Amino acid sequence: MKRAILRNIAIVTVIFIATLSIMLITNYFQVSETTPLQAEVVETLKQLNDANSNNPVLQEQIRQLDLMARKAYFIRYDHLMAGVYILIGMLVIFIVCVRLYYADSKNIPDKELDPIDEWAIKSQARKYVIWGTVGLTIIALLFVVLSSPYLQIQSSTEETNQEVVVNNVDSSQNDVMEVIAEETTLAESIIESQSDSISETISDTTVSDSITTVEPAATETVSEPVVSKVTHNAFRGNNSNGISAARSVPVKWNLSSGNNIAWKQDIPRKGYNSPIINGNKVFFSGADNEARELYCYDLTTGERLWTLAATNISGSPAQMPKTTEDTGLAASSVATNGNQVCAIFATGDIICADMNGNRLWAKNLGVPDNHYGYASSLLMYGSTVFVQYDNQNSPKVVALDAATGNERWSKTRSERVTWSSPMIAVINNIPQLVLMGNPAITGYNANTGDQLWRMECLTGEVGSSACSSNGVIFGASEYSKLVAINGIDGSLLWESTEFLPEVSSPVATANTLYIATSYGVLAAFDTKSGELKKEHDLGVEFYSSPVIAEGKIYLFSNDGKMHIFSANDTFNLIDSFETGERTFATPAFTDGKIVVRTEKSIYCVATK
Amino acid sequence: MMHMKKILFIGLSLLSKAVVAQNRFPKPDFESGYTYPNVHYAVPDESLWVMLDIILLILLMSIVAWAVIKKRTRKPVIWVSIISVAYFGFYRSGCVCSIGSIQNVSLALVDNTYVLPISVLLFFILPIIFAFFFGRVFCAGVCPFGALQELINVKNYRLSRALTTVLGMIPWIYLIFAVLYAVTRSSFIICRFDPFIGIFRLGGDIGLIIFGALLLIASVFVGRPFCRFICPYGALLSFFSRVSIWKVEITSKPCINCDLCHNACPVDAIKPPYNNKVKESRQQGVKRILIYFIILPLMVVAGMLLLRSISAELSRANKDVRLYDMVMLHEAEPQDILSLELEAFYGQGGSIEELTQKYETIQAEYKLYSTIAGAFIGLVVGFALIGLSLKRTRKQYEIDNAACVACGRCFSYCPQNRIEVESGNISS
Repeated sequence: MKRAILRNIAIVTVIFIATLSIMLITNYFQVSETTPLQAEVVETLKQLNDANSNNPVLQEQIRQLDLMARKAYFIRYDHLMAGVYILIGMLVIFIVCVRLYYADSKNIPDKELDPIDEWAIKSQARKYVIWGTVGLTIIALLFVVLSSPYLQIQSSTEETNQEVVVNNVDSSQNDVMEVIAEETTLAESIIESQSDSISETISDTTVSDSITTVEPAATETVSEPVVSKVTHNAFRGNNSNGISAARSVPVKWNLSSGNNIAWKQDIPRKGYNSPIINGNKVFFSGADNEARELYCYDLTTGERLWTLAATNISGSPAQMPKTTEDTGLAASSVATNGNQVCAIFATGDIICADMNGNRLWAKNLGVPDNHYGYASSLLMYGSTVFVQYDNQNSPKVVALDAATGNERWSKTRSERVTWSSPMIAVINNIPQLVLMGNPAITGYNANTGDQLWRMECLTGEVGSSACSSNGVIFGASEYSKLVAINGIDGSLLWESTEFLPEVSSPVATANTLYIATSYGVLAAFDTKSGELKKEHDLGVEFYSSPVIAEGKIYLFSNDGKMHIFSANDTFNLIDSFETGERTFATPAFTDGKIVVRTEKSIYCVATK
Repeated sequence: MMHMKKILFIGLSLLSKAVVAQNRFPKPDFESGYTYPNVHYAVPDESLWVMLDIILLILLMSIVAWAVIKKRTRKPVIWVSIISVAYFGFYRSGCVCSIGSIQNVSLALVDNTYVLPISVLLFFILPIIFAFFFGRVFCAGVCPFGALQELINVKNYRLSRALTTVLGMIPWIYLIFAVLYAVTRSSFIICRFDPFIGIFRLGGDIGLIIFGALLLIASVFVGRPFCRFICPYGALLSFFSRVSIWKVEITSKPCINCDLCHNACPVDAIKPPYNNKVKESRQQGVKRILIYFIILPLMVVAGMLLLRSISAELSRANKDVRLYDMVMLHEAEPQDILSLELEAFYGQGGSIEELTQKYETIQAEYKLYSTIAGAFIGLVVGFALIGLSLKRTRKQYEIDNAACVACGRCFSYCPQNRIEVESGNISS
């Protein structure tokens, strides 16, 4: 009787367990495949909101739907966990019942499965071992053969031959460039991956710990200091978007007292270009009538590591083109990708070196006809260097292979002379090269050079560069207007004519766009509506561009004053202090360090 | 090896799927001046727990040793199993565990920059010390994995011994690969493919949870499949248990060859009497052993060469090697849409030269350690064949101490013990 009850309970629980398991597994896959925040209805409403951002009812509706989706997700998750607990409970009941059921019938001698003769079992086992080993060896050998370099070379040669046949019309099409995420996206992914590693098992963490601890040891063998991985590869940082992932950024320094100044060096030759940082190296350029040079300094010590002069370049003019005093021959910032570093000068000379200063290639792009002097900075993206070459005679944009100087693509532009610099915005996983110009802002596919969109909205002399946030491109120029462009289709989202920049370029977070004018105002606009949120009139002059690091906006005024604002909705001036020398360039940021170029010197700020 | 690759492949694909399937929500948009509070991660005080872990580990192993060696009773083992599953398993989420500690210790041995936590070292060394003195008392019920299988085991259906002998080689091979991947800082595969961790944590990779559940279902009817055919730490302990000072004995009285204990053993560790009436001549048997001893070095060399030749493939488990491959592929044939790894690499201004250097170092390491691993695999196969060629005469039922997990089931089956119990000499 008791056994029958136990048996029946066991049968009922096992049916329950099987059913519940199937339900839980189905539920798990349903939950894991759901992306509640990307529901079709929410997306549609969001698009409606993008088209018309002044509808608070719609926005409230989106919020409510968003909240509902989150709630639904977590309730579902709670149900899943409740199911797991019930399953465990039922399993315990099942096991107890079955154990009790069999308690009286222990493991009595059973019919022998094996031959009684142990030697026969051993002989059989030996056979299994031998055949198993032979089988595995054959599989391993097959593996070796299939992955042999000979086969790989042969197949890759075949592929190359096919490609040549297919693509011989335009071989440059094969040289599609590498893609980098936007700095913001990257910072987010870094943070995400960090939080991932926290949630991983302790052992996993110990592996990654060990790896991180090993790396410095490996670098020690070549006696190089431990350097941050946060780079500042171009004017206004990576992708030239004004956002840095640097941490522990200094917030106070002074040149005259030496407070927090790690090192300071005089500038060998004049230039208004901004410094860049990659690893332990700082790069910038300088030029005068005697020479045009690319410099590399040690970030830690400030020692000059090498100088590369732009000489012996065919097509280079013997006489320097005329430039104004406030532009000079080296107004364009240099750019790097960690393997090559390139510089361009007002003569149209472009030189490229490896990280040790060995010249890789140099060429002259034709002397630019520019009444102030050529000033657009270079930008590197993967192994491609981009040159915005908007001058009087033949405005164009050129993409060159950074290692060889070979042209990857080139597009003629119908713009007038421009002094602004290119930037990259990654939208829908496609890197867009965004160029300001007169009269249009244009987005190109950085890989192919295809024009993705073009919006005629600017006039006059365009010196400021664009910036992007969340797929929206912001461009502004004095005496013209400020526009927000949907990076997907190039449509106008909003425009404004208040507070326009002359030289300084804007920077944007997800919610706020910051613009520094040459008459001393730093203004904040709502990125969605274009509404002016707040402004600070500091009565100074801004040529340098703002850079956001660690949630703060760092901005130099021409008199050498550093202004630090909070990059949030409060947008307060946190600090404002004299650094000692007039500064026009935009500083470069890495973990714990800022490199500043002034009129006379280059120095590194590091908290001591 | 094939088995390993398969597990690795399935595991990796499931893992990547699980990673993709993870839901991460962006924070809700607050446009009303709301500022996010700063998030602080308070580090919990772990030292107390770790100390408790170690005390409990020693205490539970001592209880099992006392129960199975001195008292020959199973009840304490069951209680230890319940405590272990509840505490080490569900409460402490199966971490730190002795099985995984193999990897930490291996890495610490080759990499002096790797700091081995003392608790991990103790979790590794204490069960070995106990095994050396008392046999596999850790496996009996202190290991939460073994304990869980033990608790849910209801009936022992026998497997062919020829088959279990071959399957019994898997833990050794798993151990060799676990060490190989640990010393090359590639992956802690024991932790990564732990089938029970998802069950203890009530969540995790669905593939591994299903694998764990299948193992548990199997262990209802077959004794401890994980311990016998997968656990690499069990392999290590069996080595020490074989030569343990105090060994588990079924009874202190003479064996009456009743065959009851043999059937009770869930891991088939009790060998029946055998009078060695081998049909082949002694000369033939000696010749076979000699041949195996001669080809043992050849098997070692073959293993070395084989694994060395696939070291490049094995090295793909290393994230830097995978990144290198991805970068090279991308450099040769640039893609419009990049993977997250490539985005991060190029986005951080990663240098191909540095990556190449790293890649070459890892490849060199893999070449060396794969060669050593190949030698060990050769040894495992060679010794297995030699072991299977030895003839031993047994007059009564004997425990194979290497395989015995000291669960104590056999005690109550032995009629000799029952006499003692009934006569009141042993209080159980």
